[in-house]
Amino acid sequence: MLSIISLSIFGIVNLFLGFLKSRRILLPATLLFLIVALILNSMDWNQQALYFGDMLRVNNVFVNFAGIVLITALLIVGISRHFGNDEEHTHPAEYYAILLFSVTGALMMIGFENLIMLFVGVEVLSVAMYVLTGTDKRNIRSNEAALKYFLMGSFATGLLLFGVAMVYGATGSFKLGGIASYVQMASMYGAVSPLLYVGLLFLFIGMLFKVSAAPFHFWTPDVYEGAPTIFTAFMSTVVKTAGFAAFYKIASTAFAGVYGFWAQSLAVMAVLTLLIGNITAAYQGSFKRMMAYSSISHAGYLLLAVVAKVPSSQSAILFYSLSYSLATVAAFGVLMAVSESRQFEGRGDDRYEAFNGLAKTNPLLAFVLTVSMLSLAGIPLTAGFWGKFFIFSAAVQANLTSLLVIAVLMSCVGIYYYFRVIIAMYLKPAEGEGISVSAGFTLTLVLTTVLTLLLGVFPDVVKNIF
Amino acid sequence: MQNQILYVWYLLTAVTILAALLVVLAKNPIHSVLSLVVTFFCLSAHYVLLNAQFLAVVNIIVYAGAIMVLFLFVIMFLNLREYTEETKSNFAKLGAAVVGGVTLVAIIAALKKVQYPMPMRYDVRTGFVETLGEVLFRDYLLPFELVTVLFFVAMVGAVMLGKREKGERHF
Repeated sequence: MLSIISLSIFGIVNLFLGFLKSRRILLPATLLFLIVALILNSMDWNQQALYFGDMLRVNNVFVNFAGIVLITALLIVGISRHFGNDEEHTHPAEYYAILLFSVTGALMMIGFENLIMLFVGVEVLSVAMYVLTGTDKRNIRSNEAALKYFLMGSFATGLLLFGVAMVYGATGSFKLGGIASYVQMASMYGAVSPLLYVGLLFLFIGMLFKVSAAPFHFWTPDVYEGAPTIFTAFMSTVVKTAGFAAFYKIASTAFAGVYGFWAQSLAVMAVLTLLIGNITAAYQGSFKRMMAYSSISHAGYLLLAVVAKVPSSQSAILFYSLSYSLATVAAFGVLMAVSESRQFEGRGDDRYEAFNGLAKTNPLLAFVLTVSMLSLAGIPLTAGFWGKFFIFSAAVQANLTSLLVIAVLMSCVGIYYYFRVIIAMYLKPAEGEGISVSAGFTLTLVLTTVLTLLLGVFPDVVKNIF
Repeated sequence: MQNQILYVWYLLTAVTILAALLVVLAKNPIHSVLSLVVTFFCLSAHYVLLNAQFLAVVNIIVYAGAIMVLFLFVIMFLNLREYTEETKSNFAKLGAAVVGGVTLVAIIAALKKVQYPMPMRYDVRTGFVETLGEVLFRDYLLPFELVTVLFFVAMVGAVMLGKREKGERHF
């Protein structure tokens, strides 16, 4: 609870820091704010509490998910050396402030106990993302991405709100507990109001749009490609973690009584997401676009855990979000460094060819990217392997054999496109000279790599906490 | 008395739906906006029928008043009349019609099967400002405060994106 309050105040403080002449203070200040929020968050450990008339529930699950979101935000701020190359057209104070506010929204989505809180959280996070997508004002792709994201995102929010209204109409409650007890009673007597079913589907569609699951993924590639890379990294990690935290919470508590109804449609969507994400990713020529489709495919694996809805699903989702976030931040960090120094057709090069021979010019960056790709592909000794392992074992417990076969096949497809960039780095001849990166940037990237390998070798360290 | 209220309700609902349809179907954007204003007024009348007077007034002031005037300003500034409608492929039209139709049928079917509970009691004070304030500042205090973060983000974002940078031309 304190972390939410403190982050919303820190955001305002950050805006005022923007008045200072020197912009150097902004990055350390934001890091400090996030660390303070992380400490305040971990103070809530083992405290079961409901705040403000059952609006927000703080328990260990909240602390875990919030911890992942805050650590990811920390790492992303760590690699945000300077926003854009020219000093005159950037507003770092505003960027950092909106980033902090969006983390507030993410925490609301994780801890909500009332659908109103869910809605406010989703909106804070989404509005912040619409703005950050369009921050590269002179780039027409960024403008296009922001407008597209805004229009489609507000439509999805409308559906979410419509769903909330119908669920309220059927159950007479906004609270998760109230909805859950209605659903249980009504399904026992076989008298579930049809409004609940329609409302539930609308609510799920709204949420699935935010985590970019198929068939609501059409915005993802364009928005991820158009947005500045640093914000793409933020979008594909923090938004996805918070979105799945909220989605699993609402599906497993409020609508647990009608599991048979939503599990079917979610299973179909999980298969669609896996197929579309992985197969389309294999056809991409741009690394950034491939990462967009790869993020769709990871939403598919996470959906698998939601469909399973066994007690171990929760910790599987937690572990997967953590490993996915670490690897994604590393991948986008290296992409940022590479595409800033290598130009193609007048803008940063984000094709696979940009990575040619990176192992000879910058062995460290190449190694970081290799580990991140191996983790995303789910190769043993990386965190991604255990993430997939826990998700698949949750699916085994729920007897989802056919879904599991598709998921395993699709992760084989994943290996193909993740290895393309590794091949480009190690086997292709080098073009251009080495890339110079700052110490803080390298340190953050090395940190993600170390964490990924550590979790790959000793998954129990974190798994015991979740 | 009951019957008269029912007639008023039928009339209002018919006008609401017609106006809402006109918003979508009108070729001229100004006609669209004006029928949206009519829709908002009809919705406000519905609020009055539902014993929510404060909400009705706020709806007229904020939506029909402020936001719609803004819409009109923008449309008049941009002079959208020269804008030619971009043609969509038949496949997309068919897909949209199928999806929209299925959603409509699903919602109508759900609404037809619902059994509406009778209201427990009629309290004339339900829609008063005092009652609303009590609910807002006691039960919904946290979301009420956190919505400020939402507005703040929107404001900061709008200013940042809309600000004229050095070297850009004036409009």
